[in-house]
Amino acid sequence: MAYNVLIVDDSATMRALIRKILVISGFDLGESYEGADGREALNIVRSRRVDLILSDLNMPGMDGAALVKALNAEQQQAGIPVVLITTEGRPEVLEPLLKHGVKGYIKKPFRPEAIKAMLGRIMGEASVHHAQDLAGCDF
Amino acid sequence: MLKTLRAATFEVLETMFFLFPEDPEGITPDFGGLGLRAWVPVAGPQPFRVGITVPLGLAREMGGNFLGITPEELGREHLEDVVREAANMIVGAFLMRSRASGAFLLRPPTLEMVDLNRPPGAAPPHRIFLCVGDFGLEVMMELAPPAAPRPRPEREAVVR
Repeated sequence: MAYNVLIVDDSATMRALIRKILVISGFDLGESYEGADGREALNIVRSRRVDLILSDLNMPGMDGAALVKALNAEQQQAGIPVVLITTEGRPEVLEPLLKHGVKGYIKKPFRPEAIKAMLGRIMGEASVHHAQDLAGCDF
Repeated sequence: MLKTLRAATFEVLETMFFLFPEDPEGITPDFGGLGLRAWVPVAGPQPFRVGITVPLGLAREMGGNFLGITPEELGREHLEDVVREAANMIVGAFLMRSRASGAFLLRPPTLEMVDLNRPPGAAPPHRIFLCVGDFGLEVMMELAPPAAPRPRPEREAVVR
Protein backbone atom coordinates (compact mmCIF):
# COMPACT_ATOMS: atom_id res chain seq x y z
CA MET A 1 0.00 0.00 0.00
CA ALA A 2 1.34 3.41 -0.93
CA TYR A 3 0.98 6.13 1.67
CA ASN A 4 0.09 9.72 0.87
CA VAL A 5 2.28 12.01 2.95
CA LEU A 6 1.87 15.68 3.79
CA ILE A 7 5.10 17.54 4.66
CA VAL A 8 4.61 20.78 6.57
CA ASP A 9 7.53 23.17 7.06
CA ASP A 10 8.01 26.86 6.38
CA SER A 11 11.30 26.04 4.68
CA ALA A 12 10.85 24.80 1.10
CA THR A 13 14.37 23.40 1.24
CA MET A 14 13.62 21.35 4.34
CA ARG A 15 10.43 20.03 2.70
CA ALA A 16 12.47 18.98 -0.33
CA LEU A 17 15.02 17.24 1.89
CA ILE A 18 12.36 15.30 3.81
CA ARG A 19 10.68 14.23 0.58
CA LYS A 20 14.01 13.07 -0.78
CA ILE A 21 14.67 11.02 2.36
CA LEU A 22 11.25 9.35 2.02
CA VAL A 23 12.01 8.35 -1.56
CA ILE A 24 15.55 7.14 -0.92
CA SER A 25 14.64 5.24 2.24
CA GLY A 26 12.31 2.96 0.31
CA PHE A 27 9.19 4.25 2.04
CA ASP A 28 6.13 3.30 0.02
CA LEU A 29 5.30 6.86 -0.98
CA GLY A 30 2.13 7.54 -2.92
CA GLU A 31 1.34 11.22 -3.38
CA SER A 32 3.37 13.77 -1.46
CA TYR A 33 1.86 17.12 -0.58
CA GLU A 34 3.53 20.17 0.94
CA GLY A 35 2.32 22.98 3.16
CA ALA A 36 4.23 25.99 4.49
CA ASP A 37 2.23 26.20 7.72
CA GLY A 38 -0.63 24.61 9.63
CA ARG A 39 -3.30 26.53 7.75
CA GLU A 40 -2.10 25.24 4.37
CA ALA A 41 -1.83 21.75 5.83
CA LEU A 42 -5.43 21.83 7.04
CA ASN A 43 -6.67 22.88 3.61
CA ILE A 44 -4.85 19.92 2.08
CA VAL A 45 -6.11 17.27 4.54
CA ARG A 46 -9.68 18.51 4.06
CA SER A 47 -9.53 17.96 0.31
CA ARG A 48 -7.14 15.03 -0.18
CA ARG A 49 -6.50 11.62 1.30
CA VAL A 50 -3.51 11.97 3.62
CA ASP A 51 -2.14 8.95 5.51
CA LEU A 52 0.69 10.62 7.39
CA ILE A 53 1.74 14.16 8.32
CA LEU A 54 5.37 15.13 8.92
CA SER A 55 5.32 18.60 10.42
CA ASP A 56 7.63 21.22 11.80
CA LEU A 57 6.60 22.73 15.13
CA ASN A 58 7.78 26.34 14.99
CA MET A 59 6.31 28.00 11.93
CA PRO A 60 5.02 31.50 11.32
CA GLY A 61 1.24 31.60 11.06
CA MET A 62 -0.38 28.42 12.35
CA ASP A 63 2.33 26.37 14.07
CA GLY A 64 2.59 22.61 14.45
CA ALA A 65 0.94 22.49 17.89
CA ALA A 66 -2.06 24.46 16.61
CA LEU A 67 -2.25 22.13 13.60
CA VAL A 68 -2.39 19.08 15.89
CA LYS A 69 -5.18 20.69 17.93
CA ALA A 70 -7.13 21.59 14.79
CA LEU A 71 -6.79 18.06 13.41
CA ASN A 72 -8.07 16.61 16.67
CA ALA A 73 -11.05 18.93 16.57
CA GLU A 74 -12.10 17.64 13.15
CA GLN A 75 -13.47 14.14 13.44
CA GLN A 76 -12.50 13.09 9.91
CA GLN A 77 -8.88 14.15 10.33
CA ALA A 78 -8.34 13.13 13.95
CA GLY A 79 -6.88 9.72 13.11
CA ILE A 80 -4.10 10.90 10.80
CA PRO A 81 -0.75 10.09 12.40
CA VAL A 82 1.45 13.14 12.92
CA VAL A 83 5.23 13.08 13.37
CA LEU A 84 6.96 16.31 14.36
CA ILE A 85 10.34 17.13 12.83
CA THR A 86 11.59 20.10 14.77
CA THR A 87 14.48 22.01 16.30
CA GLU A 88 12.45 21.95 19.51
CA GLY A 89 13.83 19.05 21.48
CA ARG A 90 12.73 19.78 25.01
CA PRO A 91 10.51 17.04 26.44
CA GLU A 92 8.42 19.51 28.45
CA VAL A 93 7.29 21.04 25.14
CA LEU A 94 6.95 17.83 23.13
CA GLU A 95 5.57 15.32 25.64
CA PRO A 96 2.18 17.07 26.03
CA LEU A 97 1.71 16.87 22.26
CA LEU A 98 2.17 13.10 22.36
CA LYS A 99 -1.02 12.96 24.39
CA HIS A 100 -2.86 14.74 21.60
CA GLY A 101 -2.28 12.41 18.70
CA VAL A 102 1.36 13.08 17.85
CA LYS A 103 2.95 9.69 17.23
CA GLY A 104 6.53 10.74 17.66
CA TYR A 105 9.10 13.42 17.07
CA ILE A 106 12.45 13.76 15.38
CA LYS A 107 14.81 16.45 16.51
CA LYS A 108 16.68 18.58 13.97
CA PRO A 109 19.51 18.08 13.22
CA PHE A 110 18.65 14.52 12.30
CA ARG A 111 20.19 11.70 10.37
CA PRO A 112 18.08 10.32 7.49
CA GLU A 113 18.00 6.99 9.31
CA ALA A 114 16.01 8.64 12.11
CA ILE A 115 13.12 9.37 9.74
CA LYS A 116 13.25 5.88 8.27
CA ALA A 117 13.21 4.29 11.73
CA MET A 118 10.34 6.46 12.95
CA LEU A 119 8.20 5.73 9.89
CA GLY A 120 8.95 2.04 10.21
CA ARG A 121 7.71 2.12 13.79
CA ILE A 122 4.59 4.13 13.07
CA MET A 123 3.41 2.88 9.69
CA GLY A 124 4.63 -0.67 10.15
CA GLU A 125 7.80 -2.26 8.93
CA ALA A 126 5.99 -3.29 5.72
CA SER A 127 5.96 0.33 4.58
CA VAL A 128 9.71 0.54 4.48
CA HIS A 129 10.53 -2.24 2.09
CA HIS A 130 13.46 -2.56 -0.26
CA ALA A 131 15.20 -0.34 2.23
CA GLN A 132 18.58 0.74 1.07
CA ASP A 133 21.49 1.25 3.33
CA LEU A 134 21.21 4.98 3.84
CA ALA A 135 24.72 5.23 5.11
CA GLY A 136 25.93 4.93 1.55
CA CYS A 137 23.41 7.29 0.01
CA ASP A 138 24.49 10.56 -1.44
CA PHE A 139 22.38 13.12 0.42
CA MET B 1 28.37 29.16 26.90
CA LEU B 2 30.69 29.49 23.88
CA LYS B 3 31.77 25.88 24.35
CA THR B 4 28.13 24.78 24.12
CA LEU B 5 27.50 26.98 21.09
CA ARG B 6 30.58 25.54 19.42
CA ALA B 7 29.43 21.97 20.11
CA ALA B 8 25.95 22.79 18.76
CA THR B 9 27.50 24.23 15.58
CA PHE B 10 29.65 21.14 15.07
CA GLU B 11 26.61 18.88 15.58
CA VAL B 12 24.51 20.70 12.99
CA LEU B 13 27.24 20.99 10.36
CA GLU B 14 28.27 17.37 10.71
CA THR B 15 24.80 15.81 10.92
CA MET B 16 22.86 17.84 8.35
CA PHE B 17 25.54 19.17 6.02
CA PHE B 18 28.28 16.52 6.19
CA LEU B 19 30.83 19.25 6.84
CA PHE B 20 33.52 19.02 9.49
CA PRO B 21 34.59 22.33 11.01
CA GLU B 22 37.99 22.94 12.55
CA ASP B 23 39.68 25.71 14.45
CA PRO B 24 41.54 27.90 11.95
CA GLU B 25 44.93 27.42 13.54
CA GLY B 26 47.56 28.50 11.06
CA ILE B 27 45.00 28.61 8.24
CA THR B 28 43.47 31.68 6.64
CA PRO B 29 40.12 30.51 5.34
CA ASP B 30 38.19 32.35 2.62
CA PHE B 31 35.90 34.80 4.38
CA GLY B 32 35.49 37.50 1.77
CA GLY B 33 33.10 38.55 -0.96
CA LEU B 34 29.39 38.26 -0.40
CA GLY B 35 27.90 36.28 2.42
CA LEU B 36 24.61 35.53 4.11
CA ARG B 37 23.99 36.33 7.75
CA ALA B 38 21.04 34.85 9.64
CA TRP B 39 20.01 35.79 13.16
CA VAL B 40 17.64 33.77 15.29
CA PRO B 41 16.12 35.74 18.16
CA VAL B 42 15.21 33.72 21.24
CA ALA B 43 12.61 35.03 23.68
CA GLY B 44 12.67 33.92 27.28
CA PRO B 45 13.86 34.81 30.76
CA GLN B 46 17.20 35.90 29.28
CA PRO B 47 16.54 36.92 25.67
CA PHE B 48 19.39 36.43 23.26
CA ARG B 49 20.05 35.92 19.59
CA VAL B 50 22.40 33.71 17.67
CA GLY B 51 23.78 34.65 14.27
CA ILE B 52 25.83 32.92 11.64
CA THR B 53 27.72 34.49 8.75
CA VAL B 54 28.32 32.21 5.79
CA PRO B 55 30.29 33.14 2.66
CA LEU B 56 28.26 32.37 -0.47
CA GLY B 57 30.71 29.65 -1.50
CA LEU B 58 30.16 27.82 1.76
CA ALA B 59 26.41 28.36 1.55
CA ARG B 60 26.47 26.64 -1.85
CA GLU B 61 28.44 23.75 -0.43
CA MET B 62 26.03 23.46 2.50
CA GLY B 63 23.00 23.57 0.20
CA GLY B 64 24.47 21.00 -2.17
CA ASN B 65 25.23 18.58 0.66
CA PHE B 66 21.89 19.24 2.34
CA LEU B 67 19.81 18.45 -0.74
CA GLY B 68 22.18 16.06 -2.44
CA ILE B 69 22.43 18.16 -5.58
CA THR B 70 25.27 20.02 -7.26
CA PRO B 71 25.88 23.58 -6.04
CA GLU B 72 25.11 24.81 -9.58
CA GLU B 73 21.54 23.55 -9.28
CA LEU B 74 20.87 25.69 -6.22
CA GLY B 75 18.89 28.90 -6.52
CA ARG B 76 19.22 31.92 -4.29
CA GLU B 77 16.09 30.87 -2.37
CA HIS B 78 17.75 27.53 -1.55
CA LEU B 79 20.87 29.27 -0.23
CA GLU B 80 18.87 31.65 1.95
CA ASP B 81 16.71 28.82 3.25
CA VAL B 82 19.72 26.66 4.07
CA VAL B 83 21.47 29.42 6.04
CA ARG B 84 18.26 30.22 7.95
CA GLU B 85 17.70 26.52 8.70
CA ALA B 86 21.31 26.08 9.84
CA ALA B 87 21.01 29.01 12.25
CA ASN B 88 17.70 27.69 13.53
CA MET B 89 19.11 24.22 14.14
CA ILE B 90 22.21 25.59 15.87
CA VAL B 91 19.99 27.46 18.33
CA GLY B 92 17.81 24.37 18.89
CA ALA B 93 20.87 22.22 19.54
CA PHE B 94 22.33 24.93 21.79
CA LEU B 95 19.17 25.04 23.92
CA MET B 96 19.09 21.24 24.16
CA ARG B 97 22.71 21.09 25.23
CA SER B 98 22.20 23.95 27.69
CA ARG B 99 19.26 22.08 29.23
CA ALA B 100 17.36 25.34 29.07
CA SER B 101 13.91 25.31 30.56
CA GLY B 102 10.80 25.31 28.37
CA ALA B 103 10.36 29.06 28.69
CA PHE B 104 12.61 29.84 25.71
CA LEU B 105 10.95 30.39 22.35
CA LEU B 106 12.70 30.56 18.99
CA ARG B 107 11.53 33.38 16.75
CA PRO B 108 11.68 33.18 12.93
CA PRO B 109 15.19 33.89 11.63
CA THR B 110 16.08 37.10 9.84
CA LEU B 111 18.46 37.07 6.91
CA GLU B 112 20.65 39.66 5.23
CA MET B 113 23.24 39.71 2.49
CA VAL B 114 26.55 41.09 3.77
CA ASP B 115 29.71 42.27 2.09
CA LEU B 116 32.45 40.43 3.95
CA ASN B 117 35.15 42.64 2.42
CA ARG B 118 33.87 45.67 4.29
CA PRO B 119 35.61 46.32 7.58
CA PRO B 120 33.47 44.77 10.30
CA GLY B 121 31.94 46.92 13.01
CA ALA B 122 32.36 46.10 16.67
CA ALA B 123 32.50 42.33 17.04
CA PRO B 124 29.88 40.82 19.31
CA PRO B 125 31.33 39.75 22.67
CA HIS B 126 30.55 36.10 22.04
CA ARG B 127 31.98 35.03 18.72
CA ILE B 128 33.38 31.83 17.27
CA PHE B 129 35.28 31.66 14.03
CA LEU B 130 35.63 28.26 12.41
CA CYS B 131 37.22 26.84 9.32
CA VAL B 132 34.93 24.70 7.16
CA GLY B 133 36.89 23.30 4.26
CA ASP B 134 38.35 26.34 2.48
CA PHE B 135 35.86 28.76 4.01
CA GLY B 136 35.44 30.65 7.25
CA LEU B 137 32.23 30.53 9.28
CA GLU B 138 31.27 33.01 11.95
CA VAL B 139 28.90 32.16 14.81
CA MET B 140 27.82 34.92 17.18
CA MET B 141 25.71 35.28 20.25
CA GLU B 142 24.34 38.47 21.72
CA LEU B 143 22.55 38.68 25.01
CA ALA B 144 19.72 41.17 25.27
CA PRO B 145 18.71 42.72 28.53
CA PRO B 146 15.76 40.85 30.05
CA ALA B 147 12.43 42.50 29.41
CA ALA B 148 11.41 44.89 32.15
CA PRO B 149 8.54 43.55 34.28
CA ARG B 150 5.19 44.90 33.26
CA PRO B 151 3.96 47.64 35.54
CA ARG B 152 1.00 46.49 37.61
CA PRO B 153 -2.15 48.15 36.33
CA GLU B 154 -3.43 50.69 38.72
CA ARG B 155 -6.75 49.76 40.19
CA GLU B 156 -9.49 51.73 38.57
CA ALA B 157 -11.33 54.03 40.86
CA VAL B 158 -14.80 52.81 41.49
CA VAL B 159 -17.25 55.50 40.70
CA ARG B 160 -20.40 55.11 42.69
